[in-house]
Amino acid sequence: MNLIAKALKDGIQKSGVNPAMISMPSDIPFSQEVTRELGVDFFQTTRGRAIAFGTGLKLSNPALKVMPVAGDLMTLGGNHLVHGGRRNMELCVIVVNHFVYHTIAGKNAPPMTSAFSPYSTFEEPFNFPHLGNSCGAVFTARWTALHTDDLGQSIATALNKRGLSLVEIIAPGPNYYAGIEHLDEQLLKFYREQSEVKNGEDPRHVAIAPDKKIIVGNFTDKERPTFIDQYNMQLGKVLGEKFTPHGVIDKEPLPGGKIG
Amino acid sequence: MAEIRFAGYGGQGIIRSGIIAGMAASIYDNKHATMSQSFGPEARGGACSSQLVVSDTKVLYPYITDADVLVAMSQAGYDKFEPELSERKGVLLYDEDLVKPKASRGKIKAYAIPAQRFAEQLGRKIVANVVMLGFFTAVTKIVTYEAMQKALPESVPEKAVELNMKAFERGYQHGLEVTKK
Amino acid sequence: MKADPKGVLTGTHYIDGDVASGYGALAAGCRFIAGYPITPSTEAAEAFARVAPRAGAIFIQMEDELASMAAVVGGAWAGVKTMTITSGPGYSLMQENIGFGASLETPFVLLNIQRGGPSTGVPTKTGQADMMQSRWGSHGDYEVIAISPDSPQEMFDYTVKAFNLAEKYRCPVMIMSDECVGHMTEKVVIPPADQLEVEPRRYYSGPPEGYQPYKPDPDLVPKMAKAGDGLKLYISGLVHDERGYPVAAEEFKTIYVRRLVDKIRLNKNKIIELKEEGVDNADIVVVSYGISSRVAVKGVEMAREKGYKVGTLRLVTVWPFPDERIQELSSKVKAFVVPEINYGQVVYDVARCTHGKANVVLVPHGGAGVHNPKDITDAIEYALKQEKRIEGVVEFKTRLEKLVFEGGMKLKE
Repeated sequence: MNLIAKALKDGIQKSGVNPAMISMPSDIPFSQEVTRELGVDFFQTTRGRAIAFGTGLKLSNPALKVMPVAGDLMTLGGNHLVHGGRRNMELCVIVVNHFVYHTIAGKNAPPMTSAFSPYSTFEEPFNFPHLGNSCGAVFTARWTALHTDDLGQSIATALNKRGLSLVEIIAPGPNYYAGIEHLDEQLLKFYREQSEVKNGEDPRHVAIAPDKKIIVGNFTDKERPTFIDQYNMQLGKVLGEKFTPHGVIDKEPLPGGKIG
Repeated sequence: MAEIRFAGYGGQGIIRSGIIAGMAASIYDNKHATMSQSFGPEARGGACSSQLVVSDTKVLYPYITDADVLVAMSQAGYDKFEPELSERKGVLLYDEDLVKPKASRGKIKAYAIPAQRFAEQLGRKIVANVVMLGFFTAVTKIVTYEAMQKALPESVPEKAVELNMKAFERGYQHGLEVTKK
Repeated sequence: MKADPKGVLTGTHYIDGDVASGYGALAAGCRFIAGYPITPSTEAAEAFARVAPRAGAIFIQMEDELASMAAVVGGAWAGVKTMTITSGPGYSLMQENIGFGASLETPFVLLNIQRGGPSTGVPTKTGQADMMQSRWGSHGDYEVIAISPDSPQEMFDYTVKAFNLAEKYRCPVMIMSDECVGHMTEKVVIPPADQLEVEPRRYYSGPPEGYQPYKPDPDLVPKMAKAGDGLKLYISGLVHDERGYPVAAEEFKTIYVRRLVDKIRLNKNKIIELKEEGVDNADIVVVSYGISSRVAVKGVEMAREKGYKVGTLRLVTVWPFPDERIQELSSKVKAFVVPEINYGQVVYDVARCTHGKANVVLVPHGGAGVHNPKDITDAIEYALKQEKRIEGVVEFKTRLEKLVFEGGMKLKE
């Protein structure tokens, strides 16, 4: 298993959530070996729509834990993060930021900062934790794929947060899975060396910029009513006793159900 | 079969009139009634209309071809839809304070009512359309009085039922009077 | 299986087609709708949102139509019946995820209240120009079912049927209605729940390790599963094998696409619903669907008054198309007259099936209105007068076209 899959597995284990109750819509292709190893239900969605697809899963069966993995969120589907955050939809969003799509020579993604475009990129990258935080996410974090333990712990925390959480993973692109590993290893090491842990840092100050350290850590951690909480509150107020609350709203046990 | 056009301007309850009459005819008179509303830029305060086709059998073609009745609550509505009124059998109902009709054509019979003025006297200008519905019921007899009495309370807010029933009655009585002459 | 009484608003209503479809969805067992408001479909979403809580259903207004369609596919995989509601521009935005849903063999219903297009078009007025898009709007090969109701009562009845077909064939079902029917108010009778038949989802019930999401039953339709059942689902829009695992070789692609189209094509006699009237001994058959079929009735009535032998064939299901029935009629009738509110879509499928044995006359309409029934009568008369076989489709020139293009019609808004 590659580092991201390992981190996901580690995070799921640490969270105590039953993997059978986890749905993982993703626009990044994971192999069936990986998803079966994780023990989750896997859905490879259309590009950029993992969060939207996950919203359908969650609202149709609130007992599910939904963990959208978004690669194309950097471009396609950014709006779903904006509104998922605003609603505080219960989704544990994993954003894999690989800066470039280096399976396709010269094609760059918006947050790219290094030179895999023939003339190098000149665009400002997204500050994902800041973006997520601004949209209302209750938890934001960023780690490189080499921060194995920290990353797993953040994923575990995110899985147990009530509301939308966003964990950014800095890692090379899908080629990594295809195994051109010498390049990826160098890159990963580079990312790791260039990073600096600042837990609790204001997400406004964690933008990734050339010649600056990559700030990693857990940033946002707050509580807000989820979409389903708000839905139940509002309809309960209007409809009174006639209204049966939607889904599982108890804080304990957690909607996904603990193992054992 | 009867083809009816309700015409006025947005906010007068023109569409609502079509729904109430259609509901009365189809649910309480056990006939078939198809109501279609016209949307468009005219929905914002300009001309607004709804069409209602009432029939003893299933309404196959749901639109006006040769109108039996035109209920006009604005000059613009009258001007736009008067030409579709049947020369042979047409009945024109209009608010005499809001519409100045042209010289009559063919065998068209015209009946006037100060619906909006009556509504104001009852305290709410907004029920002018219901005064007009009462008038429509009495003059055309397409929908029965009893059916309208049942459909009306279902179609207006609970606290406005009494006012609406009064408005309907006012129009209905006026209709009986003008048809007696 | 009988409908869940919580979702059935039994009684006699006086409602429009949009509302009837919203009520139909709840009655059919739909428990999740994701949509984005767009004229003239909004009333359907409003109606569902209003009554949803009584049955434990939920409506969400998503951020756009792409999200709505993706959420509807996701919701179906969480184990509930789902639907989305849209029109024109929203329908275009949904296309990628419609194909995705078809590829995953996801049962869901899409209500399209067609309006005048292309682009923003005429939002408040009617059109029937999305018919080909409903069939081939998303990329790649797939088959869907499309139904075209013509009254509010049918909007209720066929919304229920749409859900039943979606479950039966594990495919998207499009309700291709239009603004006229959507905004037409008539009496709608909703029966008691115990008189309403709904199709349950065909779930897999064997051991978890034995489940293959795309292993077909004898009718070519695989059993469904849902997230959270411990089956370790692997569901992908990539071409996949019976286990759901991605495969790229042409033999797998062949097996995959073949079944995706065949499960509809080979079952089409069970899916197709037609309403025919006076077709036997007819010289002309008017083929129509949706609001145009109600308008056609008037035109046919007038033609019959003139002594012409005219029948009507209404496509209640437009897709799959009734090839065999049209073929059969081709050798019996002189011509088909096809009124549709576009410049020729379904008419070409009629022509495809005639094999040159009967003429095909299109009565077009640009949208934002319905046909003048007199044009349909005249088109029938025109078709009767043609002595020769005419290649392809002949377009009848309507009064409106003559007036606009030849009559010097003064245009004013």
